[in-house]
Amino acid sequence: MMVLAMLRAGAWRAVIGVSGAAALIGGCGVAFRSTATALLPIAFTLLAAAAAFALDEPASLVVDVTPTGPVRRTGIRALALLAPFVAGALLMLAGALRGLTLPWPATALALAGNVALGFVVASVARTRTGEPGAPASVAVVLILLTPTLLPAVASRVSTFPTGGGDALSSNTVWWSVLVVGTAAVGVSVSRRPRWIPGLR
Amino acid sequence: MTAALAPTRPEPVAGRATFVTLAARELRRFLVNPVFLLAVAFVAWATATTPRSIIEIDSADFYVAVFLGGFAMMATFWLTRSTRYSEPVLGVTPTTLLVRTAALCTVAVVPMLYSVLILLWFLRFHPIGDPVYGAFSSPAQAAVLVSQFVVPSLGGPLLGVALGRWARFPGAAFVAFLLLFGWGNLVTVPSLSHPDSTAATAARMFAPFSFFSFAGNGPDVTTWRGSPWFFIGWQLALCAIAVLMALLRGAEGRVRSRVIRALAITLVLAVVLLVLAVSGGFAHAVRS
Repeated sequence: MMVLAMLRAGAWRAVIGVSGAAALIGGCGVAFRSTATALLPIAFTLLAAAAAFALDEPASLVVDVTPTGPVRRTGIRALALLAPFVAGALLMLAGALRGLTLPWPATALALAGNVALGFVVASVARTRTGEPGAPASVAVVLILLTPTLLPAVASRVSTFPTGGGDALSSNTVWWSVLVVGTAAVGVSVSRRPRWIPGLR
Repeated sequence: MTAALAPTRPEPVAGRATFVTLAARELRRFLVNPVFLLAVAFVAWATATTPRSIIEIDSADFYVAVFLGGFAMMATFWLTRSTRYSEPVLGVTPTTLLVRTAALCTVAVVPMLYSVLILLWFLRFHPIGDPVYGAFSSPAQAAVLVSQFVVPSLGGPLLGVALGRWARFPGAAFVAFLLLFGWGNLVTVPSLSHPDSTAATAARMFAPFSFFSFAGNGPDVTTWRGSPWFFIGWQLALCAIAVLMALLRGAEGRVRSRVIRALAITLVLAVVLLVLAVSGGFAHAVRS
């Protein structure tokens, strides 16, 4: 009962809406194969931003002082990540059916890493605000776009498995994000919200 | 005996003073916005690290539009929405929403001026007439530079204000930015394989930013179809549409009908300029 109530209060419109925008852009990349390597990273960035809205809690002033702990609340809200994961998986499936020649295991890892990054940033920000979605999503977009937009960074770090080169591989980047992110979520859910007076 | 003094129309003067004060305040807020500061730093870094020896300008100019147009759009969206929660208080002040929106629009001057500085720096290494601009005439080369450096830096922040006035979703700015960025990539690709196609040219021009040449990995620069001058007109029409859309929110009575009429005229003008941009320029792609 409580699980359903918590899920109902989630920012589903934001999560599903941004995932839909990602599916739209990624779908164009799959439909026009020559644009796939440009549009799929943008779609994955949007999926990361969608994941950042998973922990938004408009009624946090009330919810955060209930006996339900942050671990359980975060776990329930993590179910919202299914939306960006499903959108990304459908894009990959469509890409494979269209004959895109991408390294699929590395692409799947990039999808998991992107979504996880959005959730991690939101989880850390959730200790300071009840609705971390907006600032966390902007932060995630800025972080993920930097290697795409700045040639000096792109030559050193790769966030999407599109090619070789001497840059740090996307697998290394995303495994690191998953490991560090798991620790960051663990630390953030073990803390009480700092922004409610009297709970420090 | 008393002397009656004629009033010296104090209202417009007071209104102008209020607008200037508000605009100065919004400028100060914009200048310390972290997203805008990040954009300024990224542009400076990209300008400093871009190799001086380039084959054509596309590899060195897009980041100005992305950062000063796109990131500044997110900053002005943030700025516009920041007063949303204080609207019950602000709404009863003598300053109308229209004046506050107009004051917000003035901040777009800042990224535009910064882009002019970057453009002047760029011209030091690649002056007009340089082979990197392709087969365009000197005035057309100047138009390409203005359309790729300056106008997107003006239009992005204006779009941010319009989005901030109309969109309720707090992530609307980055979604719009990524959709426009993706659209820019998508509509450029057909011109790579079909440089002479009118449809491909129309698709490429139907965006707030457009490339006008391509080199790939070879030494030759292919100059695409399309008129840079009319494209600037199309971009400026888009800027005007953004401003009018922003002003429409909260406009009432006669002002509202005027804004709607101006919006309709600007939309027609935008379509005409887009058609001229597509049909102007070279009749087919030119390799040089």
